[in-house]
Amino acid sequence: MWPLPQIPTVAIIDDDEAVREALGDLLHVSGLICRCFATAGAFLAALRTTHFDCIVTDVRMEGMSGIELLERLQKDRCDLPIIVLSSILDQQVRARALGLGAHCWLSKPVGDKRLLDALSAAMGSGSVAAGEGHSS
Amino acid sequence: MASPASDEMSLAELASESTVLFDEDGRVRYWNPAAERLFGWPALSVEGVQVTRLAASSRQEASAWAALLQEGFWRGVLKRRSRDGHVVEVQARRLVRFEDSGELRDVVEFAAPTSGHRPTSIDPIDAPDQMMAASWEIDVAPCESILADIEGERAGDPDGRHAALYQEIVEKALIVRVNKRTARLVGGNRTREIMAGQRVAAFWPLASRSALGELIVEALRSEAGRSVFRGLPTDGILRDPVVTAWRADSERPTHVFISVEGVADDDRSYLYLKASEARYRKLIHYMPVALLQVDASHMGKIYAGLRAQGVVDFDGYLQEHPELIDLAGRSVPVTDVNRRAVELLGGQGPHDLIRPVGHLFAISPATLRRVMVGRFSGRTSHSEFMKVRALDGRVLDVRFSVTYPEPLTELDTTIFSLEDMTDRVRMEAQLRQLQADYSHAARVSMLGELTSSIAHEVNQPLAAIMTNAETSLRWLARDVPDVTKVTQLTARIAASARRADEIVQRIRGMASKRAPETVSLTLNEIVQQSLLFVKHEIETRSIRVATSCARNLPRVMGDRVQLQQVVVNLLINAAQAMEGVDEAERLLTIETMADAEGSSVLTLRDRGPGIPAEHLSRIFDGFFTTKDEGMGIGLAICRSIVAAHGGTISAANVSAGGAEFRVELPAAEVAPRWT
Repeated sequence: MWPLPQIPTVAIIDDDEAVREALGDLLHVSGLICRCFATAGAFLAALRTTHFDCIVTDVRMEGMSGIELLERLQKDRCDLPIIVLSSILDQQVRARALGLGAHCWLSKPVGDKRLLDALSAAMGSGSVAAGEGHSS
Repeated sequence: MASPASDEMSLAELASESTVLFDEDGRVRYWNPAAERLFGWPALSVEGVQVTRLAASSRQEASAWAALLQEGFWRGVLKRRSRDGHVVEVQARRLVRFEDSGELRDVVEFAAPTSGHRPTSIDPIDAPDQMMAASWEIDVAPCESILADIEGERAGDPDGRHAALYQEIVEKALIVRVNKRTARLVGGNRTREIMAGQRVAAFWPLASRSALGELIVEALRSEAGRSVFRGLPTDGILRDPVVTAWRADSERPTHVFISVEGVADDDRSYLYLKASEARYRKLIHYMPVALLQVDASHMGKIYAGLRAQGVVDFDGYLQEHPELIDLAGRSVPVTDVNRRAVELLGGQGPHDLIRPVGHLFAISPATLRRVMVGRFSGRTSHSEFMKVRALDGRVLDVRFSVTYPEPLTELDTTIFSLEDMTDRVRMEAQLRQLQADYSHAARVSMLGELTSSIAHEVNQPLAAIMTNAETSLRWLARDVPDVTKVTQLTARIAASARRADEIVQRIRGMASKRAPETVSLTLNEIVQQSLLFVKHEIETRSIRVATSCARNLPRVMGDRVQLQQVVVNLLINAAQAMEGVDEAERLLTIETMADAEGSSVLTLRDRGPGIPAEHLSRIFDGFFTTKDEGMGIGLAICRSIVAAHGGTISAANVSAGGAEFRVELPAAEVAPRWT
């Protein structure tokens, strides 16, 4: 199923516990390894010691927001593919996220297939334009 | 008395010659004050009486009457029985008057005493009121058992019990009718028609009730036609009055006539007195407040009895004995009403309202109970708002007041007043509706500012539900479905659905249009609930919130949604005020406390730029706004909501920077205006 030999590891960052747990379970049943973080700060701490293949992050969060995380990662020249999963409807924020190099922008609630396809596309090739984000 | 020509009658009232009108059959139709003096019979005791029954010799009278009808005129000497049992000899002239149609109209008789007989005289130039005795016809039928008691103890009165029994006779005996002078002397604002049917005691001075009772007993014991009399002490109404009593004819065995003679006990002239009385009567009558006089004297006695039995908690007693309230409603009569009362309660005239008070309290029975409790506890008055159903079925909102009689005064009368508040209540209801509409509009506009927060908040559980459901399907699609995992996910779906439901309920409560509902609550609850609305708004702006809620905050009565609206509004304003402030500096301080008067106080302080001094006095005014998209109704609505709760709201700048809003709400005893 996956082009890469090792099982990829996905980081999920969302301050909402219910959403975080649900995403974790979905990725788990789909054969992915994932780690969940309640804040962007906790993720950044883990990033120092752990290898991740992809990030799924919320935008509105207490402390560092999803946008700030993107800025930070860009500054740190980290090229991990990032999927933004948010319920905010603000086009400016969306444009900003994509401008900062997000792989795609998905709206909550998101269908399982769409999310998994986006993950697959993001990890299959960091440069391939895939997912709804770039197509719209 | 039926009067064919009242002008003629009033002229005859003034005549010093005895003037009597008879109908065709010789029955008395009119009997002037001079006739009262000459023969001693008050007019009301002879009305309708056959002329022959008044004559010393009925045969002689019959022939004189026959001659009159034949000739149309008669002149001669008449011998007529007087009230005191003597015979009065008079020189009389009789004249038959005819209608235009030729039918007999009436017979006029003029009479003057023959020389040698002079009536008990008052100066003839006196005004007629003083020539006329104050006469009463009373019915002692309700005193039957008391009279029997007195007769049973006729032999003697060892323990002085009779005085009380005599008094009781006057308290039970009813007025059949009275003449004008009686109505003028003791009727107060009441006409003769209104006095009829009421208790004698309601009009007879307290000091001489016992003496009157004794005289009544004496008259009843005397043979027919004999009268008994006695002088009474000056009583503030008449000087040295003489009261005479005699039994009515055998057709009315329980009726007694009473005639009181004396000069009005007042130094002022008759005309002055009459004018001042007329003024007083007019004042009461035209008072713009509905006034009803009621006679609750018998209830006073019942209360005294209960007090003697040791009843202290009368309210409690009435809860156990509602029959006493029924009794009051049935047995306490209205004895007089003014014009406004008739207007307000919709009767044809005072007569429609001269009835037991019960109907006034038909739809507000608790008021009657409180009226009774007020009297029992010796208060001088009681007042409250109540609903009353008018005679024509309209339901009115009135301010009802009762003034209780002062203890030991002569006339035991209670006054009810009813002030129509229907229009005011209706207007207040409309204003409240307007305020509710207005605050609803403001809430909706406020929710508009929170749209993105709300969308985010609702989407979170929805996202969790969708993902969990799809994950469950994936587990179920496996060769060996993982039931444990699916059970866990389904439980999470249910929990998220509940969360979404709570959010929707909260928003719906804020968005819906509904009547305010007063409940007991604390400001702390309101603060916690309001923070839920703006949680995301505050979090995404990285505003820190420091909350300090006082324990044991007094409860306030209020509408939860409206108070939440106030706090949410202040929170949004504070969050927006800090937009230009460095993130690290964004702090919102919320504090609740109780002040010395027991009011609950909420203060909300931001670290924004504060309120420009020139705006401070205007920020609660309607349509005052500094925001580009604001309507400027938020704070105006906050103020009107807080005011409706009996509280105050104020704004100030704090020296350390930022604005502080302060809301103060009174403790629970003070209910908001709509209750």
